[in-house]
Amino acid sequence: MGVVMNKRLICALAALSIIAAPAFAEFPKKDIQGVIQWGAGGSTDTVMRSVTPHAEKELGVDIVMTNRTGGVGAIATKFVYAKKADGYTLLMGAENPQMYKTLGLANLDYGDFTPINILARGIPIFVANNDAPFNNMKEFTEYAKANPGMVKVGSTGPGGLTSIVLAMLDSQVKLDLTNIPYNGDGPALTALQSGALDVMPAVLGAAIEHVKAGRMKVIGLVDVKTNDLLPGVSPITEDFPGFSSFLPWGPFFGVFVKNDTPKAAVDKLVAAYHTAAQNPDFIDLMNKRGFSIMNVAGPEAEKFLNTYRSVSSWIVHDAGFSKKSPEEFGIPRP
Amino acid sequence: MEALNYFATSWTSLDLLALTALGTFLGVYIGAIPGLSVTMAVSILISFTFSWDVNNALCLMVGIFMGGVYGGSRTAILLNIPGAPSAIATALDGYPMALKGEAGEAIGLSTVMSVIGGFVGIIVLALAAPVVSEFALKFQPRDYLMLGILGIMLVGSLSGNNLTKGVFAGAFGMLIGTVGLDPLTAEERFTFGVVELWNGINPIAVMIGLFGVSEALTQLHYMNKAAIKQKIDRIIPRWADVKKYLPLSLQTSSIGVIVGALPGTGGDIAALLAYDHAKRVTKNPEVPFGQGAKEGLIAPEAANNAAVGGAYIPMLTLGIPGDAVTAVFLGALFIHGLNPGPLLLTENPQMFWFTVGNLALANIFVLIFGLTGIKLFSKIVECPKGILIPLILLLSVVGAYAINNSIADIWWMLGFGVIGYFMKQYDYQVGPVILGVILSRLMDENWRRSIISERESLPDFFINLLSSPLSLVLFISILLIFISQTPIWARAKAMVFK
Repeated sequence: MGVVMNKRLICALAALSIIAAPAFAEFPKKDIQGVIQWGAGGSTDTVMRSVTPHAEKELGVDIVMTNRTGGVGAIATKFVYAKKADGYTLLMGAENPQMYKTLGLANLDYGDFTPINILARGIPIFVANNDAPFNNMKEFTEYAKANPGMVKVGSTGPGGLTSIVLAMLDSQVKLDLTNIPYNGDGPALTALQSGALDVMPAVLGAAIEHVKAGRMKVIGLVDVKTNDLLPGVSPITEDFPGFSSFLPWGPFFGVFVKNDTPKAAVDKLVAAYHTAAQNPDFIDLMNKRGFSIMNVAGPEAEKFLNTYRSVSSWIVHDAGFSKKSPEEFGIPRP
Repeated sequence: MEALNYFATSWTSLDLLALTALGTFLGVYIGAIPGLSVTMAVSILISFTFSWDVNNALCLMVGIFMGGVYGGSRTAILLNIPGAPSAIATALDGYPMALKGEAGEAIGLSTVMSVIGGFVGIIVLALAAPVVSEFALKFQPRDYLMLGILGIMLVGSLSGNNLTKGVFAGAFGMLIGTVGLDPLTAEERFTFGVVELWNGINPIAVMIGLFGVSEALTQLHYMNKAAIKQKIDRIIPRWADVKKYLPLSLQTSSIGVIVGALPGTGGDIAALLAYDHAKRVTKNPEVPFGQGAKEGLIAPEAANNAAVGGAYIPMLTLGIPGDAVTAVFLGALFIHGLNPGPLLLTENPQMFWFTVGNLALANIFVLIFGLTGIKLFSKIVECPKGILIPLILLLSVVGAYAINNSIADIWWMLGFGVIGYFMKQYDYQVGPVILGVILSRLMDENWRRSIISERESLPDFFINLLSSPLSLVLFISILLIFISQTPIWARAKAMVFK
């Protein structure tokens, strides 16, 4: 009898230890799902698919990635938010959710998620058609003032990088530009080469190869310091010192889990992606594409996310195309 | 000499040869299943082949691309379900051939013509890539608008015997195409606050519903009709046939290369324009178009495979993708540490010739895998309805889910299946609907872009249209096609040739 009792006790204990014994002591126990906000072949997709295999090695399980596009990333964001906060569903996204509330697109933003890693940040630049009669921001603004409505500028829709950078410029100097929207910077940069556009604010990485080949020229660098990839281009703050209150600013790529994910799982994932983002192949890839590596998590990442949200939300609000005031969500002015 | 060396890389290595063959084989079957797209397969392979050597990874992906574009025709001919939007035009005359028991001949002919089209694309890529890409870059928003108008005039060809019903169906398709976030201002259109509708209704879900499910329902309706016995004695097309249709397939291949090379259009629009071209230049088809004309099968098949080489042209010379699949290829090259862009040709010339050689190899495998197994495939049509109908429905559901891993797409697909069934019952063609869906966004975006860049001035729009040679040519061809279909033209012709 006693023996039986003992056996039962042991079984019960063993069962208990499986259930309670912090399932997360040995996270991960099964494959992880990664949900990418943007489509196959885009920059978010490329970044995630090139860093994740290194993280898989650290974790010892597969991370199965799927693209769930739509609603400027809101579909994927909502999808991951609807899943359990257990660390087995990762959100792989870009900067867009930080604008959802102000633009009235969703009631979620990265405040509802815990950053695992903010991998890298892009640097915005102004590029122009080779035939455009201006070579830097000063000449460009003077030309645009003298020829109201004649300069055709590409954009990627409200809340996109171009709209925010143009709103920043608008806060410094009032220009009458003709805005022509494209679906993403790829098609817009193609249109710039065809002459359908004169100027396009874009992320450095998307334009750098075309610039190197001499198919378009850089007229402005939206950063506080010069960039090794763009010798001879002075940062925009030299002509427009007012920009320094917004900078450094740029689109970013990050991996997230839902808030309230057990700390053990978060720590494990943070450690894995931290090591993965130090892989020389990945660093080389990011440098070539003109992104600056951040590789941050925890408070540092949260601070960056909050600054991004404040700057972008208020600039968009002040330019008059927000649906709701950032104040409603307690987003402080930068 | 060096170029030849690079060209032959994948021909001489056993590994690369096998991977290309495997890719092409898988591609044919992935392409044949509606919803399983080449884009998806290739992007999954990016992570799968991450640690591979770049050449090995590319061989597998190129094979899938080439095989997949061809594979879309299989189900279009056999079941009236295009495997991909670029095979829609193939179904128009391919399926009627299968209904007459000529499925084997149709597949054989489409295979040979696909391969010829594929080679035309590859040859243009190899010899004239820089010239063609500079030409493709010249296209302004207004030129894309005019390509869209050229395409939409196909409603005339797709309407069957009632133009009014065809125009109605086309307009319905264009309406479906406007659902979602406005591509220019991100305002919601017909979304009723539903986030799932922001991206619009997926054209592939519409296509699978209208073609696949409605076909299954229609077959249920005519349950007593016996299955058609397929003649499978002749698979490899007669040399005389190939020779007879060669000029047409060369013409439509050229359409395919150019439209494929344009960064804003792909194989689907190429195939539709090619079908239209075939219909106009063929004076006396042996069988009327829409009832199993071989010309109507050859034209889109040659064009969509030629568009593969076309899509590579801006990608390899300028780093600009010619379609969705080459966009994924660009990502793959980045991941493998190459810098695809305008400098690729000078920095990594081996990449260019390797790709050309590999495409040619994959194209040969298309011929091999395309011509084998036809007998087995043709039997699908002879399947008892009790097996065939559930099979079609199963394929449709899997395909619709696979587009975006979304249950919503399955509902859309089923809904359009029912609509398609009633359309067929009341003698409305479903072709114009899908044409409207595909073209509405192209026309919407580019019309608005071009008028915004003219500061909303219609006179300026026309002045620029008439002063640009490219726009002028497109504009005149639209006018000519339009007028040539009106009674005025017939009367004028009668007067001149009296």
